[in-house]
This record gives sequence, structure tokens and C-alpha cells, in this order.
Amino acid sequence: MASITIQSITKTFGTVPVLNDIDLSIADGEFVVLVGPSGCGKSTLLRMIAGLEDITAGEIRIDDRRINEVAPKDRDIAMVFQSYALYPHMTVADNMSYSLKLRKTAREKITDAIGAAAGKLGLDPLLERRPKALSGGQRQRVAMGRAIVRHPKAFLFDEPLSNLDARLREQMRAEIKRLHKSIGATSVYVTHDQIEAMTLADRIVAMHGGIIQQVGNPLDLYDRPANLFVAGFIGSPAMNFVEGHCRAGAIETDDGSKIAVPDGVHLKDGQAVTVGVRPEHVRIVAGPEAGSYAARVDLVEPTGFGTIVHVRLLGQDLKIYTLERGAAEVGQPLHIALDGARLHIFDRETTNRIG
Amino acid sequence: MQKIATRLEPWLYSAPVLILIVAIMLVPLALGVSYAFRDIRLLNPFSGAFVGFKHFRELAGDGAFRGALVNTLWWTFSSVILQFLFGLILALLLNRPFKGRALAQALCFLPWAVPSFLSGLDWAWMFNPVVGPIPHWLYALGILSEPSNILSDPETAMWGPIVANVWWGIPFFAITMLAALQAIPKDLYEAAEIDGAGPIERFRSITVPFLAPTMAISILLRTVWIANFADLIIVMTNGGPADRTQIVASYIFTQAFRRLDFGYASAIALVLLVLLLAYSMLIVVLRQTMLTRH
Repeated sequence: MASITIQSITKTFGTVPVLNDIDLSIADGEFVVLVGPSGCGKSTLLRMIAGLEDITAGEIRIDDRRINEVAPKDRDIAMVFQSYALYPHMTVADNMSYSLKLRKTAREKITDAIGAAAGKLGLDPLLERRPKALSGGQRQRVAMGRAIVRHPKAFLFDEPLSNLDARLREQMRAEIKRLHKSIGATSVYVTHDQIEAMTLADRIVAMHGGIIQQVGNPLDLYDRPANLFVAGFIGSPAMNFVEGHCRAGAIETDDGSKIAVPDGVHLKDGQAVTVGVRPEHVRIVAGPEAGSYAARVDLVEPTGFGTIVHVRLLGQDLKIYTLERGAAEVGQPLHIALDGARLHIFDRETTNRIG
Repeated sequence: MQKIATRLEPWLYSAPVLILIVAIMLVPLALGVSYAFRDIRLLNPFSGAFVGFKHFRELAGDGAFRGALVNTLWWTFSSVILQFLFGLILALLLNRPFKGRALAQALCFLPWAVPSFLSGLDWAWMFNPVVGPIPHWLYALGILSEPSNILSDPETAMWGPIVANVWWGIPFFAITMLAALQAIPKDLYEAAEIDGAGPIERFRSITVPFLAPTMAISILLRTVWIANFADLIIVMTNGGPADRTQIVASYIFTQAFRRLDFGYASAIALVLLVLLLAYSMLIVVLRQTMLTRH
């Protein structure tokens, strides 16, 4: 087990910058999730920790050892790939024991390690099969088994669940979390799926455009996103954004409606802002009341547990998430109110959070 | 009536293809096979009679044919093995990214586009001490005691066409191996690297198993092809000196087009056909057992 320190890491492919001055420290035993859209540099960062990509500038340390020039096999890390990267001509047992054999581990020790890992992952009946004869979920398990037999200092996961169907993904997600609880190894997990990030992480690192946007525990990112990107990326259904200007102590939207400025937020007159409000913080109210808006229902999406209601309001498509069934029908006029204490105000120029 | 029509229906649908296959493939084959049992000499207008197994009895006692069989083995296997080895090395080199790889790839595949007769002539000239550099290089390296033409020395003549054939055939293996190499997922190498496998171990445990099916099938195809491939020998040595480069395929050519004995040539061709069929069956069976074992 180990801590990982990433210091001023920069990566360019040719002249294309991919990562820009990344600083991050991962504590011993921590589960850190790198999340962001495709091309944000999260996989590159992971591969640099693994040693599969060169480091253009900066330093990575595992514990206190600088590993920039250390070969992948000597970094004592294990990686789970999106494609699982199982050796197709080897049995499950051979796949799992390959690294131990290469390290000239004693035969009894290998057998023990494989037995233990197979037991943990429910792979016992599959040990003599080849990957071709396994389902996606089983292959995923073998890939994890291959990682844990070695007791590495750190686990690296590169979108390990992306190739599974939704049901299996949910199941494996819980299994990974359970596994981490029992092994307690330092883990770095890359995904573009914000739900995976929210559910698995001790700490989320949200990345965009080769820059870390925000680091924090999942609920922090959800409750207090540091900028427009994080606000829009974390949460499903996604946050609503309304653009406006500060005029006479209130926010005036482009279609002339007014939104009260939350307490403790100080805006300059004329400042361009974006107001963010999560769909679950928009209420449907019985009739007109102070600060409510009249709108017309555009679309209704039942999700089973709740319902997403789309209305045209404030010059755009606004989503409401409600647990009440049959709260709205298409074309129906209704009144809505925003939860004033849970508004997110962002500066439109810097995109950073004001309050 | 209705019953016959239903029975016939599939045959009617496939009739155009069947007729094509019979007309284009089976008729010439049967005709060729029939020649082997007939006395067909172009210079003798009265020939054409059925002679039974006369040609085959003759063949059994024909020392030149036996020599040609041995030469065929020698020619085929050394050509295939060298082509394969160099082709694989070339494919491995071309599989890693470097500047100007696209151009290098195109250049490496160029020999394949050269007509075999032209490359035969080229190499014959290169081995000729009067116009070509190779004898002088070999002399300078101490391999030859004097800059002579290896094609005119019975001991070394076979190496001439083999070298030309290797040069000409490397691209075939390079292309097929490169295609197979590029189909290997890169993740596997990365996973193996993290697992602690060095370059040789990665080659042994990932590259070789992935390439094995392609290797087997391309070597099989190439063996049959080269055993039948007489162009270079005809152009470079014409089977000489003293029949030392005569392979079965070139012997057929000599019998048919120089002595104009089509009957005897067909008999030899039939023997070669049977030998190659036996070889192919052997490989197919081998491949099947290998596949079922996995």
C-alpha cells in the first residue's frame, strides 16, 4: 500500500498539450476517481502513473520514490483495462498467475494467491476456462483477479466497466467498492460516468481540457461545484442553467424575469452571471406565490422512481425532477418555484462559482 | 411431377455456377489428367493413342525426375523458411511507429510488384561477374575464392534462384504478418509490461500465439505456390548446370515446351499434384488438431 504524489505534471503529444500542470496527492488506501468527458486527459494521467506514457514535465512519486524513469513492472502497480486485456490463449488460472510466474514466485505461493483471489471473486469454477468461454462480467472479474493476486501497492482502473451492460455495471460497481473495503489498497479509477464516480470515490477529481477543475468528496462536488463545468457534469438529470445580469440587487434573466440573489452572495451591478439550479430543487407549486413563475409543460419523462418534467421558462428548456407521479401533463400550464437556498451562482466570464 | 420439380429446384438455382465451375475448372483438369495416359507429342502427328501407365513406368526409372524431386524439396523449403523469417522480421520492424513509416512500408512491398521474369533477369545479371557486383562482394568477403558466377557452378547454382525468390517473396510474408500483428490489441502488451514481461517474453507469450494461425496458413499456401513456381529458375539457370537447379515444375516445362512431349509432362504434373495435395491434407489435419486442442 502506498501514497501517490503527482507534482506539476504536464503532458504533450507532439505539440498538442494534453495535461497542464497537474498537482494531486492520493493518500494511502484512498479510492480516487478521475472523471471527465472524453479527451480531458484522465486516461493519460492514469497511464502516466502506470508508466505506459512518458512524463513530459513534472514528477510522480509512489510513497517517496520518484518513478518517472522506473519501468512499469518495477512500479509495483496493477492495472485493470477497459478491454480487460486478458491473454486469450491462457486459462483463467494462467492469466492470474502470469505476473507471479514472471516474478519467479514459489509454486505453492502462486496456488494460494490464486485460490484466495478466485474465492473472493467467485472464479473457482472458471479457473480452467479460456477468456473466450467467459461472459463480459466474468472477464471483468478475471481482470480484477489478475490485479489482486499480486498485492500491488496501488490499483489503477481504466474505465473497467464501460464494456458491460447497465445491469452488470451496477453490480460490478458495488463489487469493486466492497473489494476496496476489504483490501483497502490505494486505487485510482478513471471513468466518464459521473454515477460511478459519485458512488465509488472517496475523492473525485473532475477534469476538463487537461486541467483539474475540482477535487473533493462526491457530495462536495454535488453541493458546491467550483465552476460551470463541474456543475454541468456532475448530477443526472443535469443542472439547469439560466443566464442573466445583476440589476438592482436581483438577477434579471434575458427574457426579463427576475431571480432573487441568495443570501451572502455579493454581485456587482451589471455583472454577467449564470444561475444553476438542480432539477430536484425546482418545485411545482399549486398557484402563483412570491417568486414563482408561470410555465407550460413541454415534455414529461417518467423514470419510474421519479419524473422529469421539461418546461419552457426563462427563455429555455428547464428540467424539474419530481417524485410525485402525474404531477404534470404535456401542454398543461403550471407554476414553479426555485429553491432559493440551493441556487448556484457562477460568474459568466470566469465560469467560477460566486456563491 | 411436383416432387421432381421441388427436388430439382435448388439445382436449377445453382446451375449457372455449377456449369461455370465444371467448364472452367473440371474440364481442363480432366483433360490434363487424361493426357498423362496418352502418347501426345506435338512433333509426331500420329501420336495421341492411349498408352496406360507407360509414362509412369518411365517416370519411375527417370533419374532426372528423381533429381528434380530432391531439388524441389531443397528449393521449396529453403525459400519458404528464409522468406518467412525475413518477412516476419520486416513485419516486426514495420509494426513499430517511426518517422517515414508509410514510405518505408511502400518501398518494402515493392519487390512484390516486380514481374517475376524481370526480377529473375535482374538477379542473373547481379550474379554475373562481368556486369554485377555480387561476385566481387562475395570475393571481397572471402566467401568466393575468385569472383565467379555462382549460377554456373553446380555446387552453388541453386542459391541463385533461391536468393532471387527470397527477395521477391519477402513482401508476401511481411504483408500478411503485418496485418496479423496490427490485429493484436495493444492493451495486451501493456498488461504484460505491467505484469513484468520483457520484450522477449512478450513476443513469446503474446505475439507468437496470435500469429500462429496466420503463420500456418501462409506457410502452407506459400509452400504449394513455390513448389509450382518455376519462372525464376527458367530465367536464371534453365535448370542447369547439369540439372542441378531442375525442379519438378521446371522439368514439366522442359518436357512440355522444349521436348514438346505433352503426355510425359502431364504425367509428371499429375505426380506433383498428388504430392502437393497430400502435403496440403497433412497441414489441414495438423491445423485441425491444433485448433481442437485449444
